[in-house]
Amino acid sequence: MAKGIKDKVAIIGMGCSRFGERWDCGPEELIVEAFKEALADAGIEREQIEMAWLGLFYQEQSAGKSALPLALSLRLPNIPVTRVENMCATGTEALRGAVYAVAAGACDIALAVGVEKLKDTGYAGLPERTKGTFDDLWLPNATAPGAFAQLASAYAARHKIPMEDLKRAMAHVSVKSHDNGVLNPKAHLRKRITEEEAMKAAPVAYPLGLLDCCGVSDGAACAIVTTVEKAREMGFKDLVTVKAMQLAPSNGYEMSNTGWDGSYLLTTRVASQKAYQEAGITNPREQINMMEVHDCFSVTELVVMEDLGISPEGGASKDILDGVFDRDGKVPCQLDGGLKCFGHPIGASGLRMAYEMYLQLLGRAGDRQIASPSIGLTHNLGGHPFRNVASVSLFGLYAS
Amino acid sequence: MTFGILSFGGYVPTFRITRQAIAQAIAWAVPSAKGQKGERAFANWDEDSITLSVEAARNCLAGLSVVPDRVQLASTTLPFADRSNSGVVADALQLGGDMSTEDLAGSRRAGTSALARLAKAGTSTTLLLAADCRETRPGSAQEMLYGHGAAALLLGEGTPVALIRGAASVHEDLVDQYRTADTDYDYALEERWVREEGYNKIVPRAVKAAADAAGVALGEVHRFIFPTSASVAKGLAKILKLGEDRLVDPLALQVGDCGTAHPLLMLSLALETAVPGETLMVVGFGQGADALVIETTPQLAALQASRGPARYIAARRVVENYTMFLSLRERIAFDFGMRAERDNRTAQSTFYRRRHDITGMVGGRCSACNTLQYPRSQVCVKCGALETQNPESLANLIGRVKSYTEDWLAFTPLPPYVYGHVEFADGANCMLEFTDFAPGAVAVGNEVRMVFRIKDFDTRRNFRRYFWKPAPLLAN
Repeated sequence: MAKGIKDKVAIIGMGCSRFGERWDCGPEELIVEAFKEALADAGIEREQIEMAWLGLFYQEQSAGKSALPLALSLRLPNIPVTRVENMCATGTEALRGAVYAVAAGACDIALAVGVEKLKDTGYAGLPERTKGTFDDLWLPNATAPGAFAQLASAYAARHKIPMEDLKRAMAHVSVKSHDNGVLNPKAHLRKRITEEEAMKAAPVAYPLGLLDCCGVSDGAACAIVTTVEKAREMGFKDLVTVKAMQLAPSNGYEMSNTGWDGSYLLTTRVASQKAYQEAGITNPREQINMMEVHDCFSVTELVVMEDLGISPEGGASKDILDGVFDRDGKVPCQLDGGLKCFGHPIGASGLRMAYEMYLQLLGRAGDRQIASPSIGLTHNLGGHPFRNVASVSLFGLYAS
Repeated sequence: MTFGILSFGGYVPTFRITRQAIAQAIAWAVPSAKGQKGERAFANWDEDSITLSVEAARNCLAGLSVVPDRVQLASTTLPFADRSNSGVVADALQLGGDMSTEDLAGSRRAGTSALARLAKAGTSTTLLLAADCRETRPGSAQEMLYGHGAAALLLGEGTPVALIRGAASVHEDLVDQYRTADTDYDYALEERWVREEGYNKIVPRAVKAAADAAGVALGEVHRFIFPTSASVAKGLAKILKLGEDRLVDPLALQVGDCGTAHPLLMLSLALETAVPGETLMVVGFGQGADALVIETTPQLAALQASRGPARYIAARRVVENYTMFLSLRERIAFDFGMRAERDNRTAQSTFYRRRHDITGMVGGRCSACNTLQYPRSQVCVKCGALETQNPESLANLIGRVKSYTEDWLAFTPLPPYVYGHVEFADGANCMLEFTDFAPGAVAVGNEVRMVFRIKDFDTRRNFRRYFWKPAPLLAN
């Protein structure tokens, strides 16, 4: 009976480019920037990488289709490379491919790279694109802020929270992330903001204002993985291992049935429950001591606190305002500044989240370091609240 | 079983602009506009003669079990010069494939002429629709004069609510106004000449011939429907020796002149309050005239509360801003930014495969667990059963708003772009683009009615596609 991959795979090297409006870089330069760091971190040669996974969302508008952008950028020696995509959960998907490959014994060392070059599209925000030939005929031409904003109206109605109060909790989410981003030289946005500024910011999609929304940016991140046994052989002492990787896509229930009330992310609940089971977590609020969640919008982070079972139903705003998720709180969230400060180069974000957990676990997070990290959670969500893919991963130190 | 008018209906879009607001905007060039009273109706950006007709048809067919086997759509502003416009309407009404659809164009009399022809040789159960959505040049007299609207009559064998006692048509190629196929605007000739040589000489001929055909004296006709200005109507009344109290209000102050739709729209509104045994004369004018003598029956009373255009005339939303009016009717090319460049190409083969799902909002009801869902699918969203769904339309259901947003980032010709989840009976839930809601008007829990509207324009390839949108409920 399959037991999952807890403690089977170790991450031996990671890299992350500076995120931002990288006018100076094409996708190739960003990939190389992240890869160099990871290679040096792992202390191996490029030729030792046997298989690779490329996470890239936009094709024609970004780096191009198929495995080629990665194989060409790094001149990989004709090793197997697979491009993967699961919307905004693409970064984690690339890691997942690499992790399963080494866990399955298909190869010893695998590479996962996520990259996105959004500032070449010419858009502020995500570019317009079709939804497919049938969906274009009837679904609204929604934007990401508009789709996620609806969590707020549904959540406020369900828990009978006045919108003003919900907005205050949402504002705190962004303020807290900015306080962390100030400490991160790789973040795009590195200035503090105030709750007042967040609440009064220009409207984007009711009730979200400008400061409730992450921006788009360019970036790449990268991980090199191997089995625990191989890592030991290679001489690594402190091992960051994957404790769980779970994924749950919507099957149409949320968008086509009244059973979902619009106020939470069903897939995140499913994926996190399975991840906790895989990792042996029984009390997430007590056992998880840091998180990177998909804060595309402040309200997303808010509801995800409940979806992950960290806050009780309806209790997320109180926890937020009590500082539970602040840097010095019980379960700090977005220690690196999150999507809010990094922006969201779609293919890269999931790996950037893993990067922060990795650094924290090894005590290498500099000014952002928390005291005793043992289990870190990443939550990477692609799509819209009513139709999405949610991945939840857990990382920790081996034998912790 | 007698042949006659089995039902009636009409639709006027919700937007109004006051003549005052227009006058204020154009007074710098047209100071004489200042005295104009009342308001005119105009279609939202997502309405056209096809969508106006669908709403009038739904109003006419509400609650009836009769299914027309022919749809005729009369208009001088059909969106497609070649693509069956009446066919789109027939699919929106889910009337099936074994029926006939006809587009009638080229004349403001196309509606009344069709009615006159049906009166003489009615066989099928015909849904006769007339709609017009004529654009007007900024600063023109027509801008204030015209309105947008549609009317519907169901004709066939049964127990009619009104009988067509007689009809007559005369034709005279007097070009009172015209519009060629490739132009936007009507060109009107001198009002005095049109009145003296046109209305005053041609209409009485048709009116008298219709009265003769019906075997009635003009003195026995209770009310006259002249779809023209009050002054022209009064002139005709004088010529025909009728009291002015017998003239039906042409809706100039509430709606404006709706072209091909106007005579039948005035008739539908009159039928909403007419008593049994009332005789009406309906006139259509445009290079000649049609006249029809209509007599109401006792069956009319049973249908009056549930149809007719009065509820739409009452559901008005006044727009004060002249540039907004111009932009919604595409008279000015507003800059909506890069998102408006989105390519809305329709994959026609996909549309054809799913045409009923789109045009008729047909979803699926699972025969295993009875759950209704949209879109229809191979696997039931609730119980997972394979290939169990039977087609069922959601178009006539009342929905409930579950969540919504007002999106200022997304492109729409009328910001903000409002959309959200709407719940329907038996488990169905859909995320839909909303229409006709003012900012701040949507709330979770609101009930909504579904209306047929333009979904997207493909400006690159001159196509438009349609779908259903939630709109505010009408006041009872």
